Amino acid sequence: MRRVMWILLSNPLSVIGLLLVGTVIFSAVFADFIAPFPSHRGAVVDFSNFNQPPHWPNIFGTDLVGRDLFSRILFAYRISLMLGVVVLAIAVPIGVTVGLAAGYLGGWVEFALMRLTDVFLSIPPLVLAMSVMGLLEPTLTNGMLAVTTMWWPWYARLVYNITRSESQEGYVLAAEIIGASRLHIMFREILPNCVPSIVTKMTLDLGFVILIASSLSFLGLGVQAPTPDLGSMVAEGGNYLPDSWWLTVFPSLAILIAVFGFNLLGDALRQILGGDT
Amino acid sequence: MNIFAKTIAAACVSASILALAAAAPAQAETVLRLDEVAVGELDPAKASDYADSILMFNVYDTLVLPAQGAPGLVPHLAKSWSADGNNHIFNLRDDVKFQSGNPMSADDVVFSLQRMQELGSGLSYLFANVESVEAVDEHTVMFVLKEPYAPFVSSMLRLPIVDKKLVMENLGAGDGEMGDWGQAYLSGNAAGTGAYKVSSHNPQQETVMAKNADYFLDIQDAAPDTVRLRYGLEPATVRTLIAQGEHDISSQWLPPEVLKALSKDGAQLLTESGGGGFYVKMNTTKAPLDDMECRLALSNAFDYGSAIKMIAVTDDVSQGSPATGAIPVGMLGANPSTDDLARDMDAAKRHLEACRYNPDDFNIEISWIAEVPLEERFALLMQANFNELGIKSEIKKMPWALFAEQVSKPENTPHISQLFVNAVTGDPDTLLYGMYDSKNAGTWQSPEYLNDADVDDLLEEGRVNTDVAAREKAYKALNARLMAIAPTIYGYDRQSVFAASDRVKVPALSDPSKAFGLDGMGFSFRLMEMQDKS
Repeated sequence: MRRVMWILLSNPLSVIGLLLVGTVIFSAVFADFIAPFPSHRGAVVDFSNFNQPPHWPNIFGTDLVGRDLFSRILFAYRISLMLGVVVLAIAVPIGVTVGLAAGYLGGWVEFALMRLTDVFLSIPPLVLAMSVMGLLEPTLTNGMLAVTTMWWPWYARLVYNITRSESQEGYVLAAEIIGASRLHIMFREILPNCVPSIVTKMTLDLGFVILIASSLSFLGLGVQAPTPDLGSMVAEGGNYLPDSWWLTVFPSLAILIAVFGFNLLGDALRQILGGDT
Repeated sequence: MNIFAKTIAAACVSASILALAAAAPAQAETVLRLDEVAVGELDPAKASDYADSILMFNVYDTLVLPAQGAPGLVPHLAKSWSADGNNHIFNLRDDVKFQSGNPMSADDVVFSLQRMQELGSGLSYLFANVESVEAVDEHTVMFVLKEPYAPFVSSMLRLPIVDKKLVMENLGAGDGEMGDWGQAYLSGNAAGTGAYKVSSHNPQQETVMAKNADYFLDIQDAAPDTVRLRYGLEPATVRTLIAQGEHDISSQWLPPEVLKALSKDGAQLLTESGGGGFYVKMNTTKAPLDDMECRLALSNAFDYGSAIKMIAVTDDVSQGSPATGAIPVGMLGANPSTDDLARDMDAAKRHLEACRYNPDDFNIEISWIAEVPLEERFALLMQANFNELGIKSEIKKMPWALFAEQVSKPENTPHISQLFVNAVTGDPDTLLYGMYDSKNAGTWQSPEYLNDADVDDLLEEGRVNTDVAAREKAYKALNARLMAIAPTIYGYDRQSVFAASDRVKVPALSDPSKAFGLDGMGFSFRLMEMQDKS
């Protein structure tokens, strides 16, 4: 652990990544306490102070119905992070199980599971998510479902590749010889060796999930008003460029910070854990 | 002459021609550039929205035109008209030629109406009451109505006259003798008498039009030679193009903030009042809005003042003015402009107490049309307003296509829908009949599903009575009834605002004495004046 921390802190880029991710998580968790106008996450309008450039106390300005943009960005982080965590919490177990089964069992199981994975991978991710969202109502739950649909195949492919090479290793053969069950071998012997790669990919993916979710809401398929959402904020603000620049610039920067932070941290973890993604 | 001398002579002739050309430069053509939302429908029988109207009013002509700066109609393709019971007779001009060179006659009018009725799209419902139409002679045409319809002549504003001969030469495949009624041809080509010819047309991108030198009326020299109407530009793009002098007139769909910014940069603001309003429609078949008291509570809680503030562009120009009732100010039966509707929370609370439902049991669904971002702000305003009354609500974004489909069933229609509705001919009948007559419930105009016998009777009275005073009385009573039962929150009277560069002067959109009072008519390019010849 000390070695991990030392490597992390010795690389300036990892430090930046750690700081950015720390800031994002801190903002999301403590939004209720940090946000100057916590009520502005919901049904509040203030037409005496709408579309105002940054000024005190609205340090990021106000939006088109007079809500504090800074407060809304903090709460939007909460939604984005929640989306990221939930999507990965569903997609990773599905993908990992599929990958392990296909890689270790081989035969028709491998054929069926990996061709199914290929089908999902062959559809452009945003198009797949848009189709799911188009069929269902645009709500947060359906948004998570849509993003999950497109995310699990990547884990299946990753774990499948590792499993294929690991299953030829001596420790797996040894376990087979002493009569360990297939489930035991898959989940107790092979899986721990996949963990570094999975963790690295998850860290990298958190940023991408946030980006994809923002893209979906940019296209009008994300969460509904008045719930704050970074993608919707950028989309709405885009109509008012360049005059009301704060409506677009701050939410875009917020997305940039989150995605950049998770990427830097993911890269650092890859170096440390030696994951192969 | 030897070869050398010939060469010298030829060189001298060419030089003198070049010198002449340089001394008298050909007058450069003027180009007007504007934009609208896609799709630009060129077939006049299918025209229904604003972009279509711009095309229709320039490429085609109608029998009558709205008077400028005054109520009423003036002759255009028709010299005069008269009515005898259900028979309406129009005498046509005899000096009008189509762009193809074919002369216009009564046969073309008959054909245009039959085509409109047969295709049954666009604004054809305006002519559902026409039993028959016949050419009495070459320049006289008679319409026979099934039942009396007072504003019939004004519906002629929406009957563009099509070149029968040209269309018959270009019929496409289809059932029956008339094939496709020329739909395939007219969706990409013009067959009108209008002041502008179509040079090229792509309904998703751009229509290019050029001045028709053979137009039957004089077109002033200053009118643009070429017009490029582009579709589907982003507000930020239009904002930049106008600021850089590369665009002349914006669509009316720019958000107020963008108009404000353009006006600050020196753009002129053009306005058009087309007799319409912003209507917040309540589904009267769904609890708790099937109780009139609950509806009155909501309409009293609506913050009319903030709505007006939201749409203000500058101190003098706004995308609307305070509503005074169901009928926009200036239209037959409207309340005076001093009777502004205003928020009254005490009245709202009183009505809520009288409502038979408990507000805690409901979650009001406020929908907004995805293509109109301004409506999201109104949805948020209403959510905050209703919250103050203790009524919970949720906001639902709906693409137009989904909304239009869902309103066909009352149970699928959201509690609250927001719509901009206009009187397509300027007459209150074309505004109110489609919205409130019980027979018309369940269209995009009528998500209220109103079923009120008094309203139906008054609407009928306004339609059939030919006496103006009697009609006004009927519409005043209708207005009062619609206020009393509140199927709708009458948000504001709408005015379209366009940003324009200083290269163009548009009297019909800037001088009230030249205004037509009909949506889209202000975009008659022949009446515009380009300020430079660059």
